[in-house]
Amino acid sequence: MIRFRRQLFLGTFALIVATVGALWLHAKFSRALPDYAFLTGWVLFAAMFVLTFFNARKKLPFLPLGKAETWLQIHIYLGFFTVVLFLIHLNFRAPHGWFEVTLAWLFVLVTASGVVGLFFSRTLPRRLATRGGEVIFEKIPALRHMLKTEAENLALGADAKSPIIAEFHTQRLAPFFAGPKNFWLHLAESRRPLNALAAELDDLRRFANDAEREKIGKLAALVRQKDGLDYHRALQLALKLWLFVHIPLTYGLLVFTALHIVLVFGFSGGAR
Amino acid sequence: MSEQLPAPDFDAQNYARPNQNWICGRACEGNACRQGPDAKGRCCATAECKPVLKTQPGETKGRWHCTRPGGECESGPLPDGSCCRPIAKCSPVPTLRVWRGRMTLAVIAASCAVLLVLLGKPPWRNNFISPGEISRAHSGEAFAALAANNLLNQNCGACHVAGNSGPHGMVSAALRAEPGILDLKKLANAPAAGVTAIDGACIKCHVTKTFHQPDAPMISCTYCHAEHQGLVIAATTDANCGFCHGDAARMAVTHADNGGIPVIHHFADDHPQFRFITEKRRDPDTLKFNHALHLTGTTMPKLPGGEKLDCAFCHQPDAAGAFMRPVVFERHCRVCHSLQFDPATPQLTLPHGSAEFVSAFLRSLPKQYADLAAQQKSPDENGFVQQKLAGLRTQFGSGEDLERRVFFSTATFGPEAQIGTVSGGTRALFPGCAYCHEVKTTTAGAPQISAPVMPERWLAPAKFNHAKHTNLACAQCHDAVHSKDTADILLPAMAACVVCHSPRGGVVDACATCHTFHHVALVAR
Repeated sequence: MIRFRRQLFLGTFALIVATVGALWLHAKFSRALPDYAFLTGWVLFAAMFVLTFFNARKKLPFLPLGKAETWLQIHIYLGFFTVVLFLIHLNFRAPHGWFEVTLAWLFVLVTASGVVGLFFSRTLPRRLATRGGEVIFEKIPALRHMLKTEAENLALGADAKSPIIAEFHTQRLAPFFAGPKNFWLHLAESRRPLNALAAELDDLRRFANDAEREKIGKLAALVRQKDGLDYHRALQLALKLWLFVHIPLTYGLLVFTALHIVLVFGFSGGAR
Repeated sequence: MSEQLPAPDFDAQNYARPNQNWICGRACEGNACRQGPDAKGRCCATAECKPVLKTQPGETKGRWHCTRPGGECESGPLPDGSCCRPIAKCSPVPTLRVWRGRMTLAVIAASCAVLLVLLGKPPWRNNFISPGEISRAHSGEAFAALAANNLLNQNCGACHVAGNSGPHGMVSAALRAEPGILDLKKLANAPAAGVTAIDGACIKCHVTKTFHQPDAPMISCTYCHAEHQGLVIAATTDANCGFCHGDAARMAVTHADNGGIPVIHHFADDHPQFRFITEKRRDPDTLKFNHALHLTGTTMPKLPGGEKLDCAFCHQPDAAGAFMRPVVFERHCRVCHSLQFDPATPQLTLPHGSAEFVSAFLRSLPKQYADLAAQQKSPDENGFVQQKLAGLRTQFGSGEDLERRVFFSTATFGPEAQIGTVSGGTRALFPGCAYCHEVKTTTAGAPQISAPVMPERWLAPAKFNHAKHTNLACAQCHDAVHSKDTADILLPAMAACVVCHSPRGGVVDACATCHTFHHVALVAR
């Protein structure tokens, strides 16, 4: 924790210093340099290139390019600083024209998805640690299948002999165990579906005999395990899904940026 | 290097490979095969084991043995050595990483496709890549006609060399741009407002573009006139003017011959006082006019409608309201100054505008009186004329005396000290032409009246609009009530303008509010 706080302090301090420095340079040179927008554009592009290289760094673990953790810190704080560079490049004005607006929106979406990802990676692991043990995401379907089979055996097995449990399983538990449920509610840390199902099992208990109550108790435990599994799946999936926006749009942004460079020079005052 | 051993709880049977691209199709059922799919997502499952051939001593053929993990199966290998329990192949499932990679490729492909489509069709391309709306001056039918006359492209190509070309032409233009794409040193050291290649396109139409001072440095058109900013071309800002006028070194070089022009940053701060004040210029007009008397004099007669004479009676705005129409004698002066010269005959007045006409009029007085008698249907026309002429002789003597006094007399020596009444009358004094005009004598002895020189505009290069200042009383800017001398230039000093045109006053105080950069004549064109 101390290490994390030190990183946070140093990163934030560096970000503030860099931002103040960039704004000072902007105030000093934005009017003095006629090709200022080109220069800020190249600085912005260089920053974006370094940010993109973080992904490449993860794919090249054999190269001595420093620790991935260090790269992640650079990625986060340089990402925030890139927003400052972006605003400076735009001269703090809204872009105009279809192409520039599209380019700007791509940048905004990549940045926003990065911020969301940072938020997820800072908050969701802590929540996961407080709800059950470690579950490997790739094994969740198998675990869910196991719970489903176990519930079926309890409710519908040869020695079940309980029509009320069988009927309840068919109507309520079978759909629940069939697949992942309540993605958004788990993200929102809501236990309403679990409590509702548990309440229904409690209601069922009142009409059951002793043997059935034992089974209902076991089914309730399976329901809690399945809900915990869904919780892990939802949060781990969220930790992975933001990258489905961040990474593809990053490459889209690079494609548009490459064309932007060609266009601004091809249509510049000095183009011949 | 120490050998890495698996943890005691490592489950080699169910080892997950989250970094691989494909997972077994049966993994979701909890019984994934140990081998898993290959790198291309193909199922590698064959059989539960791979039997091995063991030959006992003395045997020639040997015997196949089951190697199934967890124990040999009941049936054992087939005679040909293959496992008797083949595994049905599964359909491996791509991991999220693969889906993410596919999505990334899809986005890249879609981006390239969209860009190629939009760049490939010229009408779409121009709209797509334009960084903002083009001004009316550089778009529309009028510009198309002008471009056609100048043999220019009627679209982006009119200004941009890459504007009429496809992707190859754009890349080519970008690579040949000056400064070059990667020439960061030149980009950082490019001269401010320097002339660039695109200025050549401007000059194709704006052939007479000149600067307001002949020694002003050449600057790029685009420095002040930024395009793609909307239907109206972007207004010149103070920063544009400050490029020269805010730079002491540049101004010292540019205007070294006339002592230099002070550096100006803002109108309210360091704009110099108007020159007509600092140089104490005077109105050179020879007409004698006393604003103070006309506006505040107690002897001023009322206007025919009974109103008091005010500024607006003589100074009337033009159709646009920007400037004042010239003061005209017939419209503004004659209502009081009727030029009546015969006290007994108010119907007869002198003509105005030409000394020759006045002389001719005076020399034809018998005819003028006769016409008047005819108009009045006098029964004794000749008697009427003789009576009037006798009256004039009594007052002025000869006709020459009358003419001399009409032209040269002033208030103290006029044809008549007072004509009509002062209080409540509609006629003012006519002491003689010289009362208002400069009257000289030609070598031939004829009177010559100097034509009044009344400029329609003072500070001609500056822009002004009276219509925008109607919330002010005339006297707030023009101190006419204290001006007794024609030579007074009744324009306000800069301080009067700064009251409003300043950050404190809240009214725009940009250079371009009053000043025009290019020559006035060219701007008008």
